[in-house]
Amino acid sequence: MALLEIKNLHVSTEDGTEIVRGVDLSVNTNEVHAIMGPNGSGKSTLAYALMGHPAYEITEGDILVDGESILELEADERAQRGLFLAFQYPHAVPGVTVASFLRSAINAVRKAKAGGEDDPIKIPEFRKRLDAAMKQLKVPKEMAGRYLNDGFSGGEKKRVEILQMALLQPRLAVLDETDSGLDIDALRIVAGGVRELVGPEMGALVITHYQRILNYIKPDFVHVFVDGRIVREGGPELAEQLEAEGYETFTPEPVGGEA
Amino acid sequence: MDRAGFLERYEALPLPSTSDEHWRFTDLRGFDPDAFSVNGDRARQAGESMLEIDAAGVAEATEGAVEIVQAPEGVTFAPLDDHELLGTLVGAEDKLTAHNAALWKHGLLVQVPAGVELAKPLYVRVGNSTPGGTLFWRLLVVAGEGSRFTLIEESASAEPELESYSNAVAEVFLERGSKLEYVSIQNLSRGTWHFATHRARVDRDAELDWVAGGFGSRKGKVTIENRLAGQGATSRVTGAYFADGDQHLDYDTLQEHEAPHTTSDFAFKGVLRDRATSVWRGMIKVERDAQRTNAYQENRNLLLSPKAHADSIPGLEILANDVRCTHGATVSQVNRDELFYCMARGLSREEAQLLIVRGFYQEVFDRIELEPVRDALQSVLEARLLAA
Repeated sequence: MALLEIKNLHVSTEDGTEIVRGVDLSVNTNEVHAIMGPNGSGKSTLAYALMGHPAYEITEGDILVDGESILELEADERAQRGLFLAFQYPHAVPGVTVASFLRSAINAVRKAKAGGEDDPIKIPEFRKRLDAAMKQLKVPKEMAGRYLNDGFSGGEKKRVEILQMALLQPRLAVLDETDSGLDIDALRIVAGGVRELVGPEMGALVITHYQRILNYIKPDFVHVFVDGRIVREGGPELAEQLEAEGYETFTPEPVGGEA
Repeated sequence: MDRAGFLERYEALPLPSTSDEHWRFTDLRGFDPDAFSVNGDRARQAGESMLEIDAAGVAEATEGAVEIVQAPEGVTFAPLDDHELLGTLVGAEDKLTAHNAALWKHGLLVQVPAGVELAKPLYVRVGNSTPGGTLFWRLLVVAGEGSRFTLIEESASAEPELESYSNAVAEVFLERGSKLEYVSIQNLSRGTWHFATHRARVDRDAELDWVAGGFGSRKGKVTIENRLAGQGATSRVTGAYFADGDQHLDYDTLQEHEAPHTTSDFAFKGVLRDRATSVWRGMIKVERDAQRTNAYQENRNLLLSPKAHADSIPGLEILANDVRCTHGATVSQVNRDELFYCMARGLSREEAQLLIVRGFYQEVFDRIELEPVRDALQSVLEARLLAA
């Protein structure tokens, strides 16, 4: 049984437009999967749908975590089961510091694990873990006291997403265009942070437009995503082929009558 | 005018109605000030205080008495009697202020002589406890030249559902170069009609730092007016309010710049839940001579339920030509994407909303210098937010 199984998933927006049109995918711990596709192919919709964004409706298919459907679960329950989404456009939470947000999130997950009983992390332990993760991801110390994503640069936001991932210790991390807005040094640090966490405890689904981040994260599997579907699957070599040839090669031939 | 004259005026004037511009959104139908008994004597103090504060002076006021529990040294902190400044800032301009002028009995005089600095705050608790009673409250504050001190005023009810009528007037004078921190927190019962007129006059180079917290009462209006009367005067008013159930809060504020080089900075944030409603009205007036004025005015509202409603009406009236005035007013709901972002980290919908609301208030809390006041406001809000 895979950690995450996506079965024939169809996702529509609120106005009924179908964006994801039948996706099958399995991800396990210790694996890095890359979903590569051009802009507008529906990659981010897939990411949001996995996390349970209310603006997207699953019209067909299923998403299973540990063999159990999560379709009826709200985003918080999905997070408590170990799903994590690093947002392409992280939202600002004015007035709430990075440290205070993270502590609240950790405590929420701990509470769920303790069957609904409060089990807050001790502050010195939290501090220690936060300091260590910030150091590793080269996030300046003073960021902990800033209001979350409020006035952050694109690169700061992305780093703080990965910082959150490091502290929340999910089992499956979905990274939506985490590479966009990062310069090469930041990219290396962020990718290193992800790679470090992938192992027996965590798998990752890296959604990207470019191969760039994959040079550092090194995917085990590459899925080419075009027009709401996976059109080709393979190993890391597929990413290189994409980089060389572009998505054109993979665009499905228009055929008479929609399949 | 004497007491009898004020009473006559009270009786002659009509209650404000929604056809008066300032009362357009605060409908007083159902309120009859004469239906409440006056100056009850079996009044007792409201329950626990919200504040844990080490005060230099402590006074307690009810419908029936004002008592000085602890008198500070070197300053006047005493029951209010006649005073030359009494009624000079707030007269009997409408039915409600006339009612207070005619019938108030128990008030407090705080007079800090020139040059005196108090390290610890002065604290007055004002409470109503008489069912069907009236709480008239009168405060007169005179900050002498160059004095510096803090005054905290907390209004609360003995019972959370007490039916009552509260009518308060505060006149605050800041003489040259003085600095006053004035904290006024209102946490009256949901059955209290609450009307308050607070007016301050800030003289040359004086600095007024005002915190207004509004959590209680049924309906009414709180007027906060600052006159920047002397060159270099500054006033800063920070407001936080929360209402739920059927509560209606109304803040009517005025920043009146009479002298040049004056600064005013008003920022209010409010959160409303259930069917609660609020009105915030702001007016910046800059007189012809008040050149080089800096005025800032902000009101932000967050609605937590579809039936909650906020009206926010900023206003400017500028007669001088060399001024800087900015204002902003918003009414919004919790952003769905912000909520989703927090929930995606494992916070339940309620926890996420609580976090967002805390964050919303944080900006106004950041403006409050006194830690015990900040803590008290925060814990009142937390309690209210959690009592869904």
